Amino acid sequence: MLQTHALTCRFGDITALDDLSFDVCAGQVTGFLGHNGAGKTTTMRAVFGLADLDSGEVRWDGLPLRQEDRRRFGYMPEERGLYPAMPVGDQLVYLGRLHGLSAAAAQRAVDAWLERLGLGGRAGSKVEELSHGNQQRVQLAAALLHDPELLVLDEPLAGLDPSGIDAIGEVLVEQARAGKCVLFSSHQLDQVEDLCETVVIIAHGRLVATGTVDELAGGGPRRLVVRVEGDRGGGWARGLAGVKISETDRGAVRLVLAEGTDSDTVLKAAMAAGRVTEFVFERRRLSEVFREAIA
Amino acid sequence: MTRFVPYLVVALSAAVAVFRVRRRRARAGNTVRPVRRAWLDRDVITASPRAHELGLVAGRELRERLRGRMFRVGTVLMLAAVAAAIVIPTLHENHAKPQKVGVISVLMPTVQPAAVAAATGAGTTATVISEPDAAAARDALRAGRVDVAIIGGPASLPTLLVDKPLDPKSTSTTTQFVHTLALTLGEDVSFHAAGLTPDQAAQVAGTRPLPINSLQAASTRPPAAISVTGIILIFMMLTQYNTWTLIGVMEEKSSRVAEVLLSSLRPARLLTGKVLGIGVAAFAQAGLIVAFALILAKSVGSPLMHGSEPLAVAASLTWLLLGYAFYCWVYAAAGSMAQRRDQVQTLALPLSLPILFGYAISLATITSGTPSAFYRVLAYLPPTAPFAMPTLVGFGGVTWWQFAASAATSLAATIAVARFAAVVYRKSILRTGRRVRVRELVTSTAGR
Repeated sequence: MLQTHALTCRFGDITALDDLSFDVCAGQVTGFLGHNGAGKTTTMRAVFGLADLDSGEVRWDGLPLRQEDRRRFGYMPEERGLYPAMPVGDQLVYLGRLHGLSAAAAQRAVDAWLERLGLGGRAGSKVEELSHGNQQRVQLAAALLHDPELLVLDEPLAGLDPSGIDAIGEVLVEQARAGKCVLFSSHQLDQVEDLCETVVIIAHGRLVATGTVDELAGGGPRRLVVRVEGDRGGGWARGLAGVKISETDRGAVRLVLAEGTDSDTVLKAAMAAGRVTEFVFERRRLSEVFREAIA
Repeated sequence: MTRFVPYLVVALSAAVAVFRVRRRRARAGNTVRPVRRAWLDRDVITASPRAHELGLVAGRELRERLRGRMFRVGTVLMLAAVAAAIVIPTLHENHAKPQKVGVISVLMPTVQPAAVAAATGAGTTATVISEPDAAAARDALRAGRVDVAIIGGPASLPTLLVDKPLDPKSTSTTTQFVHTLALTLGEDVSFHAAGLTPDQAAQVAGTRPLPINSLQAASTRPPAAISVTGIILIFMMLTQYNTWTLIGVMEEKSSRVAEVLLSSLRPARLLTGKVLGIGVAAFAQAGLIVAFALILAKSVGSPLMHGSEPLAVAASLTWLLLGYAFYCWVYAAAGSMAQRRDQVQTLALPLSLPILFGYAISLATITSGTPSAFYRVLAYLPPTAPFAMPTLVGFGGVTWWQFAASAATSLAATIAVARFAAVVYRKSILRTGRRVRVRELVTSTAGR
């Protein structure tokens, strides 16, 4: 298990991380959410000793992290980094060996991962000759070669087409099922919701929410999705006591009901406005959890 | 020395053959690759992770550099330039133009021996051709059949006539020859006018200067040519190889691969491995060029490598190594502050100033022939010692302990510079956006 303990990091007058503590458990995919500049990348860099912390520490299985531990981790930085003119195969073997694999083991792992990620015949290609999506796959392979115990991926889904997202998402879930710790950051909250069991939400370097997706989405006030023919904007719901319009979605309105609000009152108001074609209770979406958490 | 040429040819052919076989194998397939030495990895990792990592980083650097077209083309071009610099002057010398002297029929008796003596002095031969009269001699000059004509005779004062005016600064064979001939014939005329017999004239002409002895023994011998050649090589190689280091570090930063590497490697190891790998590639090239130059110079008898005693060559190579070791850290640290090629010039220029200074003052000292006290001090300062110390060795006034003291000072300074460079590197390698300023690094280092 990875633990960040009271991480604080300042760059001049800016506080990038402010007493940030959270856990990443083995066997789960943990989503790491926050606005741009919230401190996600700094936190991930801190795990690899790449950020100068002013205080706090990162722990691995309860003990302060050592450089040797990091060799058993896999990292995919936000800024993709590979040698542009070096062949993919040679490059990956080199990175695998830096993580302690023997040359033979590294070669086997490279062949297996390239095959798995659909880059079978590309070991001899230079990285700069590959498409963006394939470069991303090579970068993921670089993080996975040495069968790491912890995977830290900074925006691994950014700029990918749906098939790329599926391929990488599948790998992440599979790694977690195999008992690894997986931490990844993303802006695509719908995908995070599909992939993650747990999320950590930070804002301005501080932790604002953490828990399983079920806990976070299931908690909070009730949500009601109502569709009224002829009123796509949900004007009928404005002014109802204890009811707030959270968002409108393709002609339906998502309503947040305050504690003690009677849903019958809402139904009556809707029916008075027109024919009601949809009236469903739903749990919170992750995007709502996120927006409410950082508000 | 020419007996080494066949060995060199054999070694080069073997290297080419090995390279071609390896390339054919690499083309045959990427996946099937015999992997040896698997046991070695595991042993090295457990014995010393540091050596393992340094070896991997340096090995990659060396392999990629040797594989790069730039390196190969650069090496071939440098070999070609060295070959040209050595061979062309000797070609020119061996083919010094034979001189033809036109004389009109009324001959001075001494023209023939004077022409032969002047030709020997200018490193060539002379033929005396009879011309019927002054007009014919002028025609022969214009047509280029003769190089110089002697007009006039025993009665009037003879004159030397050439086609184009001679440049007094020119060192061409014809100019040397004509000047010597004019001097010799002038003496002959004076001896004749003074009424000396040919025997007396020969005795006066054979005058030798008296020997000059000094009370103190001669302490300095004239600086050997190797000093100049060695200094030029050290200058070229230091600037070139350090720029390799700077660009190599900058590229790892701009391609962002540094962040991936640093997730498992300590910055100081990545930096050290890189500098080592580039250094080995640089010295492979330098060694090849120097060996090639020495062998070629010996075999064609070039004066350019005159005085290339093993001691002088060893001193130059030692200081090339020490100079690279000292400067590479500075250049690597600078490389970590840049991330675009256009920033390289801005960073490299101030760093190259001490190199340029050491180079210029060494050339000036070699020309003047006596090293000043200031110059002797420079030989102990690490930034200028790579130039000043081998020059002093060329002058012959350096004891072994002075050499060792300067080398030790340089090594100690290298360790200090390497430590500082590692700090700068760690602070700036992951900073992107605009170029990192030195002041920011100093304040952030002091702040922590």
